[in-house]
Amino acid sequence: MSTGAEGDRIGLLASIDEVATGTVLLGETVARLLEFVVPVFADVATLDTISPTGAFHRIGSRVEGPGREDLEKGLLRRRPVPEAPVGLPAALASGESQLIERVTDEHLRAISADDADFELLRALELRSVLDVPLVARGRIVGALACGVGTSGRSYGAEDLLFAEVLSGRIALALDNAGLSAAISGLEQRFETTLTNLAEAVIVRDASAQIVFANAAAARLLGLASVDELTAAAPGEVMALFDVFDEGGRRLALADLPSAIVARGEPAEPLLVRNVIRATGEQRWLLHKATPVFEADGRLSLVVSVIEDLTEVKRAELAQRLLAEAGNALSSSLDYRQTLQQVAELTVPGLADWCAVLMRGDDGELEQVAVAGAGGRVLAVSVNPAGEEKLIDGVMTVPLAIAGHTPIGVLSLAMTASGREFDEADLALARELGHRAATAIENARLYAERSLIAATLQRSLLPPELPRVPGFRLAGFYHAAGEQNEVGGDFYDAFEVPGGWMVVVGDVAGRGAEAAALTSLSRYTLRTAGRLVGDPIAALEQLNDALREGPALSLVSVCCALLRTAAGGASADVVLAGHPPLVHLRGGRPEPVGVFAPFLGAYERAAWTAVTVAIDPGDQLVLYTDGVIDTVGVEERFGEERLMDALRDAASAADAVARIERAVSGFADGPQVDDTAVIVVERLAGG
Amino acid sequence: MQLASQLSLEFRRAGDASVVYARGDIDLSTLAKAAAALDAAREGAATLLLDLRRVDFMDTSGLRLVIAEQQRAAANSYRFAVVLGSRKVQRLFEIAGFAADDELFVESPTAFAGGGD
Repeated sequence: MSTGAEGDRIGLLASIDEVATGTVLLGETVARLLEFVVPVFADVATLDTISPTGAFHRIGSRVEGPGREDLEKGLLRRRPVPEAPVGLPAALASGESQLIERVTDEHLRAISADDADFELLRALELRSVLDVPLVARGRIVGALACGVGTSGRSYGAEDLLFAEVLSGRIALALDNAGLSAAISGLEQRFETTLTNLAEAVIVRDASAQIVFANAAAARLLGLASVDELTAAAPGEVMALFDVFDEGGRRLALADLPSAIVARGEPAEPLLVRNVIRATGEQRWLLHKATPVFEADGRLSLVVSVIEDLTEVKRAELAQRLLAEAGNALSSSLDYRQTLQQVAELTVPGLADWCAVLMRGDDGELEQVAVAGAGGRVLAVSVNPAGEEKLIDGVMTVPLAIAGHTPIGVLSLAMTASGREFDEADLALARELGHRAATAIENARLYAERSLIAATLQRSLLPPELPRVPGFRLAGFYHAAGEQNEVGGDFYDAFEVPGGWMVVVGDVAGRGAEAAALTSLSRYTLRTAGRLVGDPIAALEQLNDALREGPALSLVSVCCALLRTAAGGASADVVLAGHPPLVHLRGGRPEPVGVFAPFLGAYERAAWTAVTVAIDPGDQLVLYTDGVIDTVGVEERFGEERLMDALRDAASAADAVARIERAVSGFADGPQVDDTAVIVVERLAGG
Repeated sequence: MQLASQLSLEFRRAGDASVVYARGDIDLSTLAKAAAALDAAREGAATLLLDLRRVDFMDTSGLRLVIAEQQRAAANSYRFAVVLGSRKVQRLFEIAGFAADDELFVESPTAFAGGGD
């Protein structure tokens, strides 16, 4: 610019920077910016902004010279002619600054909307014009147009460079004044911060038109590009999907948070199942929406953030499905009934329809459970070999334990929902099939094991107490807990050299290990007793056997060796970790025995035999601690109550009955420990 | 309705001496809890004491625990002792062949700590 002094220009930039860092209001900012530009750099200047939707706003105009006010008003109302090949329209279209050094009527015609517009432009007496886009944060947010003529100045190439510097400062000043936020800043911010965001972001204007979407949004909704979203009319995008809530209810656009907040109502985040109609691909999407209002309270924009919870939801579904299926499968041994429950669990979370087919004894597959589609039988592809298949909305997986022949198949299909299965669904179905098969096998094994347990338990008890000459025996055994929890207590009575041995014992613990110990104890005592006829030697044998085991195995035993001789009858009583034997002498209970360590506790221990004479009518009561440990309301049954119950018992059978009665009358709640009692009565004249 | 057996355990450590204070019932249903308390208390302890003074009832499960600990102590060179409580608990040890003056028993945790070295 021929007449522009260098100092003026530097001052101009400084002035604009001052505005840029100030805290003035927007309208004032624009006015002051134009004041600096005109007359220092131009005779005529206008300032425009472009909204994210491309809407053009002329926010200021300034003219120096005669007729200034009318010209300014005229310019303020002007809108650029969109297709003009020169000037402001060209600058906006290309993003490049435009310089017309010598303005002709032809130029003016080209940028005029009509004759009146042409006359307005002519009245400005323009010699040169510069049109420079305003670029803030990488985006054209507006334009500065400058003209000279009345002052006699004209623009050259160097003026264009300066104008570009100037426009940068102005853009910054406008940005700082909040103009960009109000008009075009939303898009700037989205473009710079949201474009690469993993969360899908969609911005709609007040008419529900999508004005911004990021790449993640396009991806999530299965669209090729962001443009497909922004080009679509309101509602068109929604038509691409079937949208359901968590309960399976179909949702319309009006149900989504973006529409709800647009109506001015508050909206909670909404989890939806989004099925792309074209492909059947399904995703779980969490919609959140926030309204943005104009200063006057009108709705300006609705910002939606859509989070993809497909993986989370799928994991949750898988976890829940497998857990519930596990519960169903373990709750009953009737697998037909539980397979029906499993089938029902898969609908509608995993599939629209589910059937379970089991191989019958004849090798044919028979449908044993079905859920969904009104329970109809669907003609799905069932591979008789039980192989895994995934084709067009149908999955078939084997019911099989790894490495075993499938015992059936699990078939799943999509029908009305139009959804498709993917690999993750197949993996879940596979796991479900595996678990169902395992549960069915377990049920079969359990039935077998229960049988084994019952058989084992029977083997641990003498089928019948033996007849012992001169004596009468009575006993009872009560096992606590489930049938398959063999273990705990045992009793036995068998002939040995020189007499009869009567034994009760208690093995610590329950279950299979206890059962094994019980068996070991009973048969070791029986064998050793028969060989040596000495209770202490028999106990030492068992002690050694228990010590050989890897773990600490403790067994308590009360052993009585009954002997009869011409002079009468007696018993050698030995205790090992066991409460005393009760000797009913003339109806009076007396404890007998010397306390000594458990069998299995120590390498060597001193077990002591106590010999008592047994008169006719006397009784020996051997019992396990299940009797005295029986839980009552206040306390345990205890030795005292046992003694009291036995007092004056008339016979072995009476003694047993008295104990049973006393214990069951005392007990509060179910019995928790095994109980074994054996009573030996010396018969009169025996 | 019978109440389930209750057992509360407290574990204190002074230097390398650990004391487990048991309160309630030690039977099959509370055994695992008691065993876990001993496991925790044993860790890094030169002396371990099980205080049974507040134990109302104990059955052979509890005895088994004590005997196992006694043998573990002998094998691993730490000292283990028990403070007896109620008559019922004393009776249980008596039945199991423990003499009243068995070195397993101490009068109180303080007596134990004093005699620890």
